[in-house]
Amino acid sequence: MSKRVRLAVSLSLGLMGLMGLMGLTLGPAIAQDKEVVIGLQCDRTGATQIVGTTICPAYHDYVALVNSKGGVEGYKIKVIEIDHEYKVPPAMEAHERFKKEGAVIDSVYGTPQIAALNKKLEEDKILGTSPGFGTAAAADGKKYPYTFPIAASYWSQGAAAVKFAKDKLGGSLKDKKIAYLYFDNPAGKEPIAVLEDLAASEGFQLRTFAVPSPGVEMAAQVLDITGRYKPDYIITHLFGRSPSVSIKELKGKGYPLSKVVALVWGAAEADIDAAGGFSAAEGYSCMQFAGVGHDYPAIAEINAMYKAQGKEPPKEQANSVIYNRGVFLAAVHLEAVRNAIKAKGGGKPTGEDVKKGMEQIKDFTLGGLVPPLNITPEDHEGGGWVQIWTVKGGKFEKATEWFQAYREVVKKHIAATN
Amino acid sequence: MWDELEFAFALLVSGLSIGLMYSLIALGFVLIYKATDAINFAQGEFVMLAGFMATTALAAHVGIWGAIAAAILGMIVLSFVLERTVLRPLLGRPVVAVIMATIGLAAILRGLPPITIGAQTKALPLPTGDTPITVWSAVIPPVQVVGVVVSIGFLAVFTWFFLKSRMGIAMRAVADNQQVAMAMGINVERYFAIAWAMAGVVSALGGIIWGSMLGVDTQLSLIGLKVFPVVILGGLDSIVGAVVGGLIVGVVESIAAGYLDPYVGGGTKDFAPYVLMILTLMFKPYGLFGTHRIERV
Amino acid sequence: MLHRESGVFKTSYAADMALYPLPIARWTVAAVVVLFAVVLPVSLDEYYLSVINLVLIAIVGALGLNILVGYTGQISVGHAAFMSVGAYTAANLAVHLHLPFWVTLPAGGLMAALIGAIVGIPSLRIKGLYLAIATLASQLIIEWVINHTPAISGGAQASIEVPRPTVFGVELKTQGELYFFLLAFAAAAVVAALNIVRSRIGRAFVAIRDQDIAAEIIGINIFGYKLLSFAISSFYAGVCGVLYTYYFGIANYEAFQIVVSIDYLAMIIIGGLGSVLGSIFGAVFVTMLPIAIRIFVEAFGGYFWDTAALSAVAASMRLIIFGLLIIFFLVVEPEGLNRLWRNIRNYFRVWPFSY
Repeated sequence: MSKRVRLAVSLSLGLMGLMGLMGLTLGPAIAQDKEVVIGLQCDRTGATQIVGTTICPAYHDYVALVNSKGGVEGYKIKVIEIDHEYKVPPAMEAHERFKKEGAVIDSVYGTPQIAALNKKLEEDKILGTSPGFGTAAAADGKKYPYTFPIAASYWSQGAAAVKFAKDKLGGSLKDKKIAYLYFDNPAGKEPIAVLEDLAASEGFQLRTFAVPSPGVEMAAQVLDITGRYKPDYIITHLFGRSPSVSIKELKGKGYPLSKVVALVWGAAEADIDAAGGFSAAEGYSCMQFAGVGHDYPAIAEINAMYKAQGKEPPKEQANSVIYNRGVFLAAVHLEAVRNAIKAKGGGKPTGEDVKKGMEQIKDFTLGGLVPPLNITPEDHEGGGWVQIWTVKGGKFEKATEWFQAYREVVKKHIAATN
Repeated sequence: MWDELEFAFALLVSGLSIGLMYSLIALGFVLIYKATDAINFAQGEFVMLAGFMATTALAAHVGIWGAIAAAILGMIVLSFVLERTVLRPLLGRPVVAVIMATIGLAAILRGLPPITIGAQTKALPLPTGDTPITVWSAVIPPVQVVGVVVSIGFLAVFTWFFLKSRMGIAMRAVADNQQVAMAMGINVERYFAIAWAMAGVVSALGGIIWGSMLGVDTQLSLIGLKVFPVVILGGLDSIVGAVVGGLIVGVVESIAAGYLDPYVGGGTKDFAPYVLMILTLMFKPYGLFGTHRIERV
Repeated sequence: MLHRESGVFKTSYAADMALYPLPIARWTVAAVVVLFAVVLPVSLDEYYLSVINLVLIAIVGALGLNILVGYTGQISVGHAAFMSVGAYTAANLAVHLHLPFWVTLPAGGLMAALIGAIVGIPSLRIKGLYLAIATLASQLIIEWVINHTPAISGGAQASIEVPRPTVFGVELKTQGELYFFLLAFAAAAVVAALNIVRSRIGRAFVAIRDQDIAAEIIGINIFGYKLLSFAISSFYAGVCGVLYTYYFGIANYEAFQIVVSIDYLAMIIIGGLGSVLGSIFGAVFVTMLPIAIRIFVEAFGGYFWDTAALSAVAASMRLIIFGLLIIFFLVVEPEGLNRLWRNIRNYFRVWPFSY
C-alpha cells in the first residue's frame, strides 16, 4: 500500500478517534434537576430484533405522552436507550452508562442480560425489570431485592396454560395427553418443572418436544406430536421465527389450531402474519401479559399526541401485542416513579425510593392494558396475571379476562430454588 | 406397527424435502467456491436479501411474478457489485482473509434492512396455496414441493452446464488453474462475474422459497449456517454433492429429531449433522463428491 | 527516536534475550505500567473503568485466538465455546467445592485447554476452510452439551451464580477493585504471550503457518505443535471465560455463542494477525467501537434523523460500520492496526534523520 494511502488511513482513523472523544465530552448533559432518568436496554440488531424494534419505540411513545402532559408529578422523564445486540458485555456497559447518568431504573432486556446484572442491580441500588423473560425464581423479592419480573414468569405462564387447557377440555385433565413444544434454550426449558408437577397432580400425561435454535425447521417434531403422540392439547413456548413456523407446520399436519395455546412470545401479530395471516391461523390461542389491540385509552392518547404533531400513528402499532407490552413496561415504570416521588413528598427519587415505589404498585390497570398487578416486597412478579386471546374471524378476540393459575405450585417452586 | 412405519415414512419424506431446500442454498455456495475458490460465509445473508428484494417489489404492487423477477435481477446486480468490490481485491490472499471478508459482508448485509426497509417480518405468499400435498402418511406443504422441483431443476441444469457447455468448461478451467486459463485466452474476470451472478440467481430462488416458508426478516439469514454440514458432506465444489449432502443432512436431522430426541431431552437435530460432518472430515476430508486437492509444496 | 539502539552494548546472553533490551523500551514499559496501575484507576470515573474492564477481558481472549490463528495459521471459529468451558468449570468448582479464584482460574483454563486439544485433533488431516467448519461444529456441539447436561450447566436455566472473588478476605465488588483483578491477569497473559512467541514453541508455530510441509521435513512435530497451539489458545479462552464469570458474577452459556467467536476473529483481523500488540489493538477497537459509534451518533446524529429513528439507526449503523471496517482492513491493510502502528513507529525510529 502506498505511503500516501497509509497516511490517509492513519489520519482518518485518528480523526474518527478524535470525533469520538469530542462526542464523549460534548455529548450527554448532566441530568436536569426536575428530571428522572431511566435507562432502556434494547435489542435492535440482534437475535430478538423483531421484538426490540417494536417494544422500544412503544416505550418512547408512552414516555413522550406522559412528558407532554407535564411528566410524572412535575418531573420530566428522560430515557436513555442503548442497543446491546443481545450480547452481555454491551449490556453491562449500558448499565454502567445508565448509572453514570443517574438512572433510577434499568429496563433490562434479555434473559442472559438480567442474569448477569442481578448482582450489579443490587449493588448499585438501581432496580431492573424483566417482564416476560428472565429467571422465574427472581420473583422472590427477598432474594433478589432489585430485580422485578413485573409480569408473569415462565412458571406462571406454564401454569396458566395448563389451566386454560383444563378449562377447554371440560374441566378435567385426568388421563389426557398434553404436548409441550419448546425452544431448546434455558428460557424454553424453564416451564417444564412446573408442567411436570402439574402433570403429576392433575393426572395428565406430558411429553416435551424440543426445537433447537434457530427454530426455523421443526417438521420432525411436529410430525412426532401429530403423528405419534396425538395429544389433546399442545402448549408451545417458542421465540423469534419459530412461532410462525409452528403454526404453519401444525396446520399443515392437520392439527386443529384451536387446541394450541402459545406462551407470551409466540403470540404477536407479526407471527400470525408470517404464518399466512389471520385467516390461516383461526383458533390459535395465545397468552399475553399486556392487552392486545388499540382499544385502550393509553393507545388512543398516544395516537392523539401524534395527530396533534401532524404525524400518523407509528407503524409499530400494527404489531399491537408487542407494542402494548412496551407501553405496559413504560406505564409500570412510571407508576413506580410516581409512587416514589409521592412517598418522598415531591422530592427527587433515588433508585432505592423507586424500588419501594415499585413494591407499592397495586390495582394499576391503565384501562385494562395492564393486569391487576400486585407487587409486594416478597412477590416481585405481581401475581403472574395473564390473559388469553384467540384468533377468531380474522382478528384477535379476548378469550379470557385476566387470571392467575396455580399460585401455590409456582410459589412452591420459587421457594424451592431459593 | 403400521403406525410406526407411517411415522418413519413421513419422517423420511419430510427430511428429504427439507434436505433439498437446504441444497438450494448450498448450491449457491458451491457455485461460488467451484468457480472462484472463495468461501462465502454470507450465503445466508444473500438468501435473506433476495427475500427482502421480493417483498419490497411485492409492496410496490408488481405481483408475485414481478417480485420473483425483481429478486433475480436484483441479486444478479448485487453479485456483480460484490464480486468487483469485495472478491477481486482479495484474490490470492490466504483463506482466512476471504472468510473474514465474507463475514464482514454478512454483518453489513444484516445491518442494512432495519435501516432501509424496517425490521418487521414480511410475508411472501407464493401462488401455490396452502393445502398440503399428502402422499400416504407424509404431508408436504406445496411450497416445499416447489423447492424440491427447483433444486432438482438446478441440479440438472448445472450438471449439464459444467459438463457440456462452453462457458461451464471455461469456468472449470478457471477454477482449476487461473494462470493457465488466462494463458489459453479465457477471460478470467468475466467468468468470475458470471459465476457470482449464477450464484446470485440460485440465492434469489432460495430466498423466495425460504422466505415464503418462514417469512422474510433478518433472522432468515440464520439458515446460512445449515450450509456448512451440507457442503462438507457433499464436497465443497460438487454440484451433485450439494444435493446429496442436503438430502443426507435433511434425513439425518429428521431421524434424529424423531427417534433420538426422546432419549436425550431434545435438540439432537441441531448437532447431529455436525457430528456426521466431523466424522466425514476425519475419514473423507473432501466430502463424498469433492475433488481431492493435491497440495504442492 | 533519535537512534534508540545507539549506545546500547549487551554484554551477557541474558541481556541479549531480554524482552525489552533497550533502556528506552524499558522506560516506556515502566511508564505504561504506572499509567495503568496507578494513574487510571484514581483518575477515571467508574463508567470508563467498566469499559476498560471489558477491554481487559477481551484482550485475554484475543491473545489466545491470535496465537492459534495468527501465529499457527489454524482457523478457529469456536473460540467462544472454550470460553464457556472455562467459565462453567470455574463456576462449578467455585460453587460446589468453594474453591478460591486462584484455583478455579487455572482449573478453568486447563479444562478448556484439554477440550481444545481434543477439538484440534482433526487439524492433523484438514486445513483451511475445513478446519474452520470443524471448529464451528465443535462450537455448536459444546454449546449443546453444556445446555443439555444439568450437571455442568446447573439446571434448566444453564447459569450458575458465582460469588465475587476475594483477595486476602477483601471481596472485589466495585469496578475499581475488579479493574486491578482483571489488570493483573491481562498483564500476565500479555507477558506470557510475548514470551511464548519468542520461544522455540513460537518459532515452531510460525514455521507451521508459513510452510508446514517444510517444517515437518526439518523435524518439527507438526501434529504435536498444532495440538499445543490449540491447547494454549484454549487455555487463554478458558481464562477469559473465567474472568467473564467473575466479572459478571454468573456463568451463562448464552453469553458465549457463535456471535462472540466471530467478534474475536474480527478483533484479531482488525488488530493484526500474528502480533501480540495487534491483539490488544483489536480487542480495544472492537469492544469500544459500538460505544464510540453510539456516542458519535448521539452527538451529531440529531442533525440527520429525529430521535425516534435515531436509536434504530445507531444500532444498524454499528453493524454496517463493523462489517465495512473488517472488509476495509482486509482489502486495504491486511496486517491490521498493528501495521499502521508499526508504520508510525518506524517513521519515528530514525526521526529526524530519516535518510
